[in-house]
Amino acid sequence: MKIMLQTDKIKFSYNQEEILKGIDLQIKSGSFIGIIGPNASGKSTLLKNMSKTLQVDSGTVYLNHKLLNDYSSLELARKMAVVPQNTEVSFNFNVYDIIMMGRHPYQKRWSGISKNDKKIVNEVMEVTDTFKLRSKLIKELSGGERQRVIIARALAQKPNVLLLDEPTSSLDINYQAEIYDLLNYLNQKWDLTIITVSHDLNLTAQYCEQLILLNEGEIFASGSAEEVLTEENIREVYKAEVLIKSNPLSDKPFITLIPEVNKFKKKKEKKEFKIHIIAGGGTAKKFIYKLDNLGYRLSIGVLNIGDADWQVARELGVEIVEAPPFIDISDNEIKRNKELIEKSDLIILSDLPFGHGNIANLEVLLDYANKPKILFSNLNIEKRDYIKGKAEKIWNKLLEEDDNIVLLNDKSQLISEIKKLEN
Amino acid sequence: MIENKKNILIFLTAVLFSVILIFLALFIGSTPIEPADILDYIFNNSENISTSTAIIIGEIRLPRIILAFIVGAGLAVAGAVFQAIIRNPMVDPYIIGISAGAGTGVMLALFLGIEIVVFNLNSLPVFAFLGAVLTVFIVYQLAKVGNKLPVLTFLLAGVAVSFILNSMMSFLMVLRTENLQQLVYWLMGSLAGSAWKDVRMILPYFLAALAVILFYLKDLNILLLGEESAVHLGLNVEKTKVILLGAASLLTASVVAVSGSIGFIGLVVPHMARIIIGPDHRRLIPLTALIGASFLLLADTAARTIMAPMELPVGIITAFAGGPYFIYLLRNKSKDIW
Repeated sequence: MKIMLQTDKIKFSYNQEEILKGIDLQIKSGSFIGIIGPNASGKSTLLKNMSKTLQVDSGTVYLNHKLLNDYSSLELARKMAVVPQNTEVSFNFNVYDIIMMGRHPYQKRWSGISKNDKKIVNEVMEVTDTFKLRSKLIKELSGGERQRVIIARALAQKPNVLLLDEPTSSLDINYQAEIYDLLNYLNQKWDLTIITVSHDLNLTAQYCEQLILLNEGEIFASGSAEEVLTEENIREVYKAEVLIKSNPLSDKPFITLIPEVNKFKKKKEKKEFKIHIIAGGGTAKKFIYKLDNLGYRLSIGVLNIGDADWQVARELGVEIVEAPPFIDISDNEIKRNKELIEKSDLIILSDLPFGHGNIANLEVLLDYANKPKILFSNLNIEKRDYIKGKAEKIWNKLLEEDDNIVLLNDKSQLISEIKKLEN
Repeated sequence: MIENKKNILIFLTAVLFSVILIFLALFIGSTPIEPADILDYIFNNSENISTSTAIIIGEIRLPRIILAFIVGAGLAVAGAVFQAIIRNPMVDPYIIGISAGAGTGVMLALFLGIEIVVFNLNSLPVFAFLGAVLTVFIVYQLAKVGNKLPVLTFLLAGVAVSFILNSMMSFLMVLRTENLQQLVYWLMGSLAGSAWKDVRMILPYFLAALAVILFYLKDLNILLLGEESAVHLGLNVEKTKVILLGAASLLTASVVAVSGSIGFIGLVVPHMARIIIGPDHRRLIPLTALIGASFLLLADTAARTIMAPMELPVGIITAFAGGPYFIYLLRNKSKDIW
């Protein structure tokens, strides 16, 4: 494979602060690269060094095996196009004129617009879907439309490499996908080498074939999205706890920030109060985070392996009684569940549905009439009963015999109810 | 194509308007002259009319009209160029002190009694040019915050430098008490007493500066995209900026050398032209020149006729028109006024 762009130990300082500490990169022709990293990791600076917007302090950049500094500005503009971060145009050119300016590196001072210029501009308007905007004024466009126009102008330069600095940072989510879809198309069909800087990890993970993770001016990791976006890497570089799942549509990693955990991690002290949760089907995942965060000692069971609540509980390190999915809970599991319940100060039963597989989770409550319980009653038990009234019967018996039950209609009151019981 | 036809129509209208204004200005004046005599002068080479009438038309009114045309066009074009380079529609050679710088250069030359003429090239515009370029440089350096050039600091720096330069001019004027009224008028911006020699003095500089600007029209458009984008489109931004700043300063300097500081034309006219024809400098600059010329000719004709036989400095009239406009622009978001 041909190398399109290569950097060799490039360093760059600004105000005596070293922003880039020796970056070595080899970017193959036709690749789609995402440069990611936290703020001030040097990703925009790297892009600017690669595009000669900033001059490297030491090290070298090669474009097409030729030193970047050996290109004249016009020559470079024919090989490389850049979409800068701020693309706001504050004056009223129309879209066609703006895109035609992309032909500047090919036009002589006095020559008018050639047939070839027109052809290329029409071509790029078509691929960026800006043809219908051509006589509109640039200020009338939405953010996404404007970004497409700026990309069209860059394409009119007929470059081999397209560099983009945060191309979607100011766009709504629908436009973000639109822009990346376009880049993907250009990469695939036009064989354009694309390098984009972004702070959106998920978007770059979906689209870029290779990611380069920068941290404090150095390459921390590079490779496929799966290789780069690991929980350890993110923890190290971003100081954040995340959950990485696979996007079911693309099979690419998808990052979720674990809320609040990060913020309060240091302060968090475990309380003595123990809560056992009976849930399933994702009915508890929202409040597990909260309770864990407030420092309650949690246990949960019996959960099927792979269940949404199971995933969350496992991620937070909550003690789980787990069972294989699709079969009834076994006696052994019930026994372990009971052990946890006995140690707990409070039982919470979420608004989970009941079937053959998990009815034992409800039955077990009959054995602990003395334990305080919070039962979610926002959903009627009839609607959650998939075993012809059996669950309803147990539920009603529970309500009759047990005086230690708090019925919770409003889920948002959970924490205050727990606090009451705690005291 | 429709766009092109529209533009041709706009230019035809502007040219027609200028021609009508020139005729009008020839006919109007403190000494009443029969229109028939004027037509006679133009078409029959003045054989049948009296010498005094011929002098009024040929030596007083005509050079003044031509000069108003050149000065108006020069100031307006300089304004448009400065606005594009600084990327700020509030900029005008008068407001940011370039006119004052040129004026101080001229004053200094007059005070020291330096006036050299080499091959018909007078040194006064050269002094004005040096004053103007020095002022641009100082204001630019004063206003720069890091790598950025904020609008407000730029305007403030310009105003502050203008104050200092104006007081220097006043000081020089007090020291040189002869011709005081003439100098006061010049300071306020006036075309009174202009003659062919003034036209001859500034024309070479004016044409040279204009030629450079016309050569760089496309680059002006690209500069408007922002310096970073311009670099990526293959423009040598620093070089282009220096050349264009130099040309616009020379343009300002050449006209200030004869007319003093006539304000606000460089602010108002490019903006009017932009509304009519859009921001593309290949069309904007020619139209700005035509409108600027007509505007000053109109203002100057008013200046010499409103209180005839007394003359008002034309700078007073342009400031009356331009000051409120400047306030309007300040009140508007700068985004909406390009």
